[in-house]
Amino acid sequence: MNPYTKFSTPLLIGLPLLMATNLTGCESMQGVFSPPKPEGLNTRVYSANESSNTVTVMDGDNYQVLGEIDTLNYGPHDLALSRDGKQLWVTNLANGRVTVIDTESRKPVASIYTGTRAHVVALTNNNKHAWVANIADNTISIIDTTIYRILGTIPVGKGPMGIAFSRDGKFAYVSTQDKMVNVIDTTAHQVIKQIPVGPNPHFLTLGPDGRIWGTNTGSNDLYVIDPTTNEIAATIEVGPAPQQIAFALKGTAGPNAYVTVAGLNKIVVVNATSPTLSIREQIDVGEGPNGIWANAVGTRIYVGHTKSNNVMAVDTGTSQVLATLPVGRKPIRVVASR
Amino acid sequence: MAYSSRQFIQPHRSSFTRAFSTGLAGLVLSLGLFTASTAQAAGEAVAKAINAIGEFTVFRTDGIQEQLEGKGSLPLYEGDRVTTGRGSQGLMEFTNGIQVALNEDTDFLILSRWESDKGTTRILRLATGEVWVKTMGGPKPLEIETPVATAAVKSTEFALKVQPDGQTTLTVVEGIVEFGTAFGTCPIRTSTISYGNRGKKCTKPAPTNVSPTIAWTQGIRQ
Repeated sequence: MNPYTKFSTPLLIGLPLLMATNLTGCESMQGVFSPPKPEGLNTRVYSANESSNTVTVMDGDNYQVLGEIDTLNYGPHDLALSRDGKQLWVTNLANGRVTVIDTESRKPVASIYTGTRAHVVALTNNNKHAWVANIADNTISIIDTTIYRILGTIPVGKGPMGIAFSRDGKFAYVSTQDKMVNVIDTTAHQVIKQIPVGPNPHFLTLGPDGRIWGTNTGSNDLYVIDPTTNEIAATIEVGPAPQQIAFALKGTAGPNAYVTVAGLNKIVVVNATSPTLSIREQIDVGEGPNGIWANAVGTRIYVGHTKSNNVMAVDTGTSQVLATLPVGRKPIRVVASR
Repeated sequence: MAYSSRQFIQPHRSSFTRAFSTGLAGLVLSLGLFTASTAQAAGEAVAKAINAIGEFTVFRTDGIQEQLEGKGSLPLYEGDRVTTGRGSQGLMEFTNGIQVALNEDTDFLILSRWESDKGTTRILRLATGEVWVKTMGGPKPLEIETPVATAAVKSTEFALKVQPDGQTTLTVVEGIVEFGTAFGTCPIRTSTISYGNRGKKCTKPAPTNVSPTIAWTQGIRQ
């Protein structure tokens, strides 16, 4: 079956019928296939503010800052939110620890040393483990998300930068500074393949098409890995210093990949519904766009700006900025509840 | 809430202090003179090395190296890396009463985890080598991490050995050790042995004669 057909425009128009088919497994676009919940009630957006040592909590529907949480560590860099939205995992680049935040009380409940320069964190698909990439140790630490105990360490290539899991959870993909994406067999905790990508590969994420999407921040392009072959399936130039990727809709069009391109101060929108990639549009945003995340239904994207220290909410239907929220210094990562 | 002063440095930092320390950390990182965990070195000692045979070296987080020769009292701090050379051994005692002996060619980091409801758990991250551990004076939370497994104890005596490929061997002399890999956990009891391998659950405990396993500790514990 062609994996792209399920995201074609006619199918999205027939949304109720599509929901009845019980399609599942789309990380970023899960809300599209979930029972409808009233939009405007409970989207929580979080930014990791690397130079403030804090996480800002925002109401993603009413565009308000709700509070700021001290991570009790140094250099919060990446965020991972549990599927139920109750646990927020924060890497702290400067002192190599991970902070676990209880989102209900908005307080840290655990601090775990993983390794030198803890960079990114990703939760396994069942949320039982948190995988943390330690740049200077060239390792991935695996943490039990219930008891916060490190259960193992996987050696990977030089300078692990990004982590994403395949849709079925059988593979983990880890980008490394040696211009590779390492493919890890999650049942054996072994690197089984290295895929050459490009200079300074950074962010990685699972796309709604089941493919792994990544950016080469050191060059101008993004790439897509086909998990059935573990080969590069497509690449496209998007502009200087591409950073992170989120998936959202523009009316009936999409899902689209929304890529923060720091060198342009723009979001570059890439068609994610066909095997070949093409740019649909570019959206002007603030200075130094980096972190980006979409709401569960794919109608809003939230963009963090590391130079202007704010998060913008963008309506993907009109590509207009709806609100600009001041957050802590250098908001480098943004996530939102599902 | 009880914070470990060395985990978080100061849980309630003032804006000025935070800004200053953040700036300082940035400066330190950019200069590349110290590791990012330098700040964690400040604070109270968490253990002391009290005996060494041969080469027993402590690597501080700021790059300073110190050695203990024979009996003595060398303070150890969170973040310290402790190593022994070929044919060497060491003995250290944590402030909460846990004794740890290091066999030859051993390399570990002294770490901790903080939890709001449980406080601080002492952690030893064993890269290679062999340690013997005995908790004294009641239950003491302690965990030993290896590349493929973790042993968690409260009141016990055991030995743990790590091969270069990460394979971990746990021998429990007395008590119960919660021994787990990312693929499962099993309680290991007195006079039994279990193995942890990458990508697998720890093996079922098998009876063993523990005396030969810990015979190497006799010299250093005297």
